[in-house]
Order: sequence, then structure tokens, then C-alpha cells
Amino acid sequence: MRLKPWKYIVAFWMSAVISIGFLTPIPDIPILKESARNLFLHVPMWLTMSVCFAAGLYYSIRYLNNPIMKFDRKAETATQIGLIFGICGLLTGSLWARFTWGTWWTFAEPRMNLSALGMMIYVAYFVLRTAFNNPEKRAKIAAVFNVFAATTIPFLLYIIPRQLPSLHPGADGNPAFSEITAPELRYIFYPAVIGFIGLAVWLNDILNRYKTVKHLTDQQRA
Amino acid sequence: MKIFPIQAQEDTVAAVDTLTEQYSQKWDGAAGLDQASPLIQTAASYDLIFIVLGVSLIIWFVLLFFIIRVDKKVSKLEEEIEKSNVEDTL
Repeated sequence: MRLKPWKYIVAFWMSAVISIGFLTPIPDIPILKESARNLFLHVPMWLTMSVCFAAGLYYSIRYLNNPIMKFDRKAETATQIGLIFGICGLLTGSLWARFTWGTWWTFAEPRMNLSALGMMIYVAYFVLRTAFNNPEKRAKIAAVFNVFAATTIPFLLYIIPRQLPSLHPGADGNPAFSEITAPELRYIFYPAVIGFIGLAVWLNDILNRYKTVKHLTDQQRA
Repeated sequence: MKIFPIQAQEDTVAAVDTLTEQYSQKWDGAAGLDQASPLIQTAASYDLIFIVLGVSLIIWFVLLFFIIRVDKKVSKLEEEIEKSNVEDTL
């Protein structure tokens, strides 16, 4: 019943990222001040969410090619974990906005609102799943919807916000992330991205194994 | 004339209204720190970052504890299913 070694590495890695992220000296950036450390949490969460949604898309396409329930379970799990990271990204973003832009939420900020819209599309994925009692039918409709949902994400989170005036870095009139991010922040930022993706893979693994166990016990009972 | 689909609100550029600046000097615990124990003095130094780190680490370790616990429980269930499958084949 021992954990696999890579899980200990993820646990240690994330503990180190959190500790060093708070302790490392950072440059005095106007307005951002100490809240610049949120870069180590907020942005990696969005990137992790994108990776999870991409995995969900991959398994949905595999299910449509080869309708085995294992692929549907994996697509659902990856989407669930992605949605959790997306909601955490929204919460950390809202908190950061209060400290730097002076408001918890603003309808003038396209990336903020389009991200919320993206999360709602994925919430609809789970609502849709509850509408079917037949597992095969549910899996097929959910896979088709997931392909649609995943294709909206690059447009909602990356392409459209970059064309509009925004308070986020990299948008129209604002310098891009690469231009304003100090090297000291990057030493923690990139390991944080790896750590969060590792954590998402771990959570995916647990949830997927749990669903497989549940599926097997349900089969035994039937 | 350039038309923006979404107009920026006037009140969104509230650069001066930062909670960091408003509250960092108003921490009640900061009063009488010179008489406090060395541990408290250390924790309160460096712009309170040690306190933020401490709270964050507590949350992270509690979360980690539950993740590891659930992982082990699922492993146990997997072992039980495997064992029952082997018994069925005998």
C-alpha cells in the first residue's frame, strides 16, 4: 500500500515551491508589491487547467473512435480536475484584482469574464452528464460536448482577450508577460507550473482509480 | 475612430487603492513587538511574510495529508478487488 515514488516527489516539490515562493526576495514592482508572488499560484493554475482540459479532449476523441467506458471515465476525471483548477484560478485572480486593480470583479476586463464563461461551459458538461441514465448514451453525448467545450477555451482565454483592451499583461496596449516578468520570479514560476501539473496528474490518478474500483464493485453486485 | 467593443470603466484604474498599503501598518499584533518572544519577533519580521508562509503551509500539509490518505484507501480497495478476483478463479 505504499505510494509510488513520483507522488513523494510531487509532494516535496510543491512544498518547496510554496516555501521558496514566499521566502525568495522579489523586486519591488509598482502596484503589484508583494502580491506579485501570486504569479506562482494564479498562472500555473490556469496552465494546469488547460493541460487537464486537453487531456479531457484527448480521451473524449478516443472514446468517439473506440467506445470503451474507460475513456469516458478518464475524460470526465480530467475535466473535473481541470474545472477545480480553473475555479481556483478565478478565485486567486479575483483576490489579486482586489489588491492591484481595486475591485474583486470588473465587467470591463475581458479575460476575467471570458474565463468565467469558459468555466460555465464546463459546468454545463457535468449538468449534461446528469441528464442521461444510459451510460453509453451519456458518454457519447458528453464526448461530443467536450470536444466543443475544449475548442472554445483557446479562444476565450487566449485569443479574444489579447485583441481587446485589458488590465492583464499581454493584452492590447499592455506589455506581454515576457516583458514585465523579472528573472527572479521565473525561477519559481516555471517549477510551480511543473509542480501544479504534477499535482493534477496525482489527483487525476486517484479519482480515476476510485471510479474504476466503483465500476468493478457495481459490476460485481449486478 | 477606433471603437472598442468593451469600454474600460473609470473605477477600474484604482491604482492607489491597494489593501497592502492600507492595512500593512494597522496590524494589531505589531504593537509591543519588542517585548514579545524571539519566535514572535521573527515571525513578524520581513513584512509578515513568515505568517503568510506558515498559514499557506498548514493548508497545504492538511490537503496533502488527505490526498495521501485517500490514495492509500483506494490502493487498499484495489488490493481487495484483486484478491477477491483471484479467489474466484481458484
